[in-house]
Amino acid sequence: MAKVTVDGRVVEVPNDANALEACRAAGVDVPHFCYHPRLSIVGQCRMCMVEVEGVPKIQASCTVPVRDGMVIKASTEKALAARNATMEFLLINHPLDCPICDQAGECKLQDNAFAAGLPVSRTSEPRRQFPGYDRTPIGPHVIADMTRCIQCTRCIRFCEEITETGELTFIERGGHTIVWTHEGKALDNDLSACAADVCPVGALTTRDFRFRKRVWWLDKTRSVCDGCEIGCNISIEHRDRIVYRFLPRVAPAVNDFWMCDYGRFRSEELNRQDFLKPEIRVAGGDAERRQTNWGEALDAVKAAIEKDPSKVRVIGSAFLTTEEAWLLAALCKDSLKVGSPEFTVDIGPKRRIRNKVDGWIYGSEAAPNSRGCEAAGLTRTSSLSSSSPAVLYISDASFSEKCKDPAFVAGLRQASVLIVHARTRNALTDAADIVLPVAPLSGKEGTFVNAKGLVQRIDTAIVSPPVVRTDLEVLLNLGARWNAFDTQWTARDVFEKMQASVAGYAGLAWDSDALVGNPPSISPAAAYDVLGLERDPGVEVFSRPSVTAPDRLP
Amino acid sequence: MSGGQNLPVAEQAGNPRVGEHGALSCGRTLSFSRETRADFDRLLGRYPTKQAALLPTLWLAQREWGWISREAVDYVATLLELAPAFVWGVVTFYTMYNRAPVGKHLIQVCTSISCHLNGAEEVFHECKKRLGGLKTGEVSSDGKFTVVEVECLAQCDKAPAVMVNDDDYFVITKDKLDAFLGGLK
Repeated sequence: MAKVTVDGRVVEVPNDANALEACRAAGVDVPHFCYHPRLSIVGQCRMCMVEVEGVPKIQASCTVPVRDGMVIKASTEKALAARNATMEFLLINHPLDCPICDQAGECKLQDNAFAAGLPVSRTSEPRRQFPGYDRTPIGPHVIADMTRCIQCTRCIRFCEEITETGELTFIERGGHTIVWTHEGKALDNDLSACAADVCPVGALTTRDFRFRKRVWWLDKTRSVCDGCEIGCNISIEHRDRIVYRFLPRVAPAVNDFWMCDYGRFRSEELNRQDFLKPEIRVAGGDAERRQTNWGEALDAVKAAIEKDPSKVRVIGSAFLTTEEAWLLAALCKDSLKVGSPEFTVDIGPKRRIRNKVDGWIYGSEAAPNSRGCEAAGLTRTSSLSSSSPAVLYISDASFSEKCKDPAFVAGLRQASVLIVHARTRNALTDAADIVLPVAPLSGKEGTFVNAKGLVQRIDTAIVSPPVVRTDLEVLLNLGARWNAFDTQWTARDVFEKMQASVAGYAGLAWDSDALVGNPPSISPAAAYDVLGLERDPGVEVFSRPSVTAPDRLP
Repeated sequence: MSGGQNLPVAEQAGNPRVGEHGALSCGRTLSFSRETRADFDRLLGRYPTKQAALLPTLWLAQREWGWISREAVDYVATLLELAPAFVWGVVTFYTMYNRAPVGKHLIQVCTSISCHLNGAEEVFHECKKRLGGLKTGEVSSDGKFTVVEVECLAQCDKAPAVMVNDDDYFVITKDKLDAFLGGLK
């Protein structure tokens, strides 16, 4: 560790830290564009200027390794003037299109101009333009607008160092420089939208989110991607009960700063809710299902089960939270006496993500919580047995891709009563006798256990429309009919009740950092988590330096 | 708004035209001749990494095919185990790699300060005129000539200087132009 003094404050930082990281550790915010904790240091943007005692010239702090006893002056007039000049230089050719730019609100150029720039522009010349290289798709998920680019090279380094695909490069030089791909190639890799995340300005933006919502209207809720078993930490960004996008949340041991395109663009799917009320088909078989209320639906479920409990079979799902799986297992064991529920997981396609601890990690199961379900008492099977019970209770009608396959569903339909929890319509729900409408990931609360065995919490982003319930509420209400559960239990209550009996959960606290993970940052481009040195990263602080910036350059 | 006209950069003099940021295709797959391949292998031995040999390898490619096409970029990238985009970035950074076909004689007229004072601008325009009204960078119909304007050739004491392919020609004034052009076969 090295002892470094920043503006009179002494901090200890690791020997391989740089001056910028030391400043941040000391709580001094040094504005920057090109520095990113997971990308190589290039000193490209010249924004993070500080004075270092004993060094005559002003330094780009990200390029200065710390040494013991170093004295950094980050807020001197000289440093501020230099940043001012850099900011003014960058703005000479930046279009003033913030009102129509998607990055506005999470743009480092805006932020730094506000914190470190001049209040007025001294140039009146027309801005540089790149006809043919503005508002142009550069890959399947990313739109490029080179008029906004500030040449920080974050996206180029991301493609070289993180995905190792090297699609992007600088073309031309000087004032004509643009970031583009080689002729005929697309920015197309499994993490490509992260290139838009690292872009500090609006030069790269994601196609799916483009023009859909101003970012400052978005509420951010911590969650975990349910696309595969890796369990990338995400922020569900939503407003007025609509999910607009997923962004990765920093999780050094899982997805680090990244998430894959497949997971990211599952967000739109969460807005689909095909079932808004319980539906029930009266005994007899061929009649149409009709909508009903929860009381009648759950009574019907109970009646069907109690007819002959020995002929009831229950199928769980690896999309259930561990709490829900535990309730399901407890209900089967203690009340229905039907033995443990089975579940099966789709395998593949293989997903991957990269973090600094493990390098690439891979996920082949297409569901987030098979480990949690097993720990909670569900039995994993590779193929569901073909016995035809009298009653089949399936706690997730989309537990597998096979649920869309009529032949597979016909096998399950052998049961005389078929009960499903469902959100979206598929072949299985079409065949079901009782459909219980449940909420998507964004409505749930609970924990998932990922491929590395980490227990991670998801929070409720959107409270579902009135009649739709979460799986947890459905199971609690059903269990209450056998006096097994209290309907007022929350996910946290269930978590605490099951801790003793579920492997890996003992000793965990619902509110602990380990479970909750990092909060959604204002933007992933502004997310730091540098070497564990971060102050509470809940809110990005613009510490206005105590020295006022000069109105005019000296 | 004061200052210059609001011309898009790509239409201002001296900047690449629209579409020229992208590599042109030569329409066939390329690979080095045996002789160039031998040169390339010799070259690799002189550098610590393959990436370090990029600039001279591009020179070899330009010697072989006259200009750097999209296929040449891909080929060089494969040879040196680099991303094609990286190679293309390097090609576009340097001005002496030709990104379009050029004539047999690439006439590079210096118009920097000393040459300019000795009438290089006139030589440049006259040169294009006498070759049948060529535009800058255009290949003449017989495939023999391309005229471009370049920065200082470091021959200020013998201005105006002209470079044809790799050879320097000195004191090419307007009067000497016919003899100079006639001498190029």
